[in-house]
Amino acid sequence: MVPTGILIPLIALTIVLAAVFFVRPSITRETTGKILAFVGLCVLPVLCIATGMSTHMQRSEQTKFCISCHSMELYGKSLYVDDQKYVPAQHFQNHRVPADMTCYACHTDYTIYGPMKDKLKGMTRIYLQYVSTPPKTIHMSGGYSNLQCLHCHAGARNFEENPVHLAMMDSLKTNQLSCISSGCHDTIHNTSEVTNLKMWGPAQ
Amino acid sequence: MKLRAIGIRRFLQVSSSLIILGLLVEIVSLMWFHPLAFVLFAFVGIALMGLGIFVYLASLVFAVSPPAENHE
Repeated sequence: MVPTGILIPLIALTIVLAAVFFVRPSITRETTGKILAFVGLCVLPVLCIATGMSTHMQRSEQTKFCISCHSMELYGKSLYVDDQKYVPAQHFQNHRVPADMTCYACHTDYTIYGPMKDKLKGMTRIYLQYVSTPPKTIHMSGGYSNLQCLHCHAGARNFEENPVHLAMMDSLKTNQLSCISSGCHDTIHNTSEVTNLKMWGPAQ
Repeated sequence: MKLRAIGIRRFLQVSSSLIILGLLVEIVSLMWFHPLAFVLFAFVGIALMGLGIFVYLASLVFAVSPPAENHE
């Protein structure tokens, strides 16, 4: 994704201003020059950092960003499994979550600092991948919280009126009984099997 | 060399070159669609720009101003 909007003109303007002060630092003798120096060497770079950070954060919410990592390729492929028992596949293929933000929609922590925590977890994975030894099996630290499912499903009629859900609603809401390990919705990515399964059209 | 002896011109040149380098790194990181692009931006780009800003702010405090022109 090539960043558009304000960021590129902002970076270009900052480079031009900074270049002016590199070539002609003497212009800061005048008051106008001093003000320009403050804008070009302090205000605009801070804006570039903030806007760049925001762009990177938004970009890392995209499905194609997550699966651009080699170790995530099979997880990306599992979204195309032609079997509705696969929870990620049925959510992705039926657009129950935004298709371009599938990983983020189900794996983010829906709290005020959630995206920041996710980024830090991602940085840990990058460290393991490129500096340390990556684990053979990827595990989510702290397990998968029901809150991520309930963020969308809580309050939905077909969820709330389902007698199976009704019987265990308190356990689900307090995370005592996991949605994915209780024998109910336990077919998740299953990456070890993905290569042998039939795929949905767009993957082929 | 003592910090105060360095002229504001040198400070501004160092600051602007660091900021330009940081911005070039930011452009590269934005064009590269990979998780490492964020690492490049966060650890190299921001560090260079932050250092550039710091050098500029330091110039306001420590640098020797050029002698004022005599208008008399």
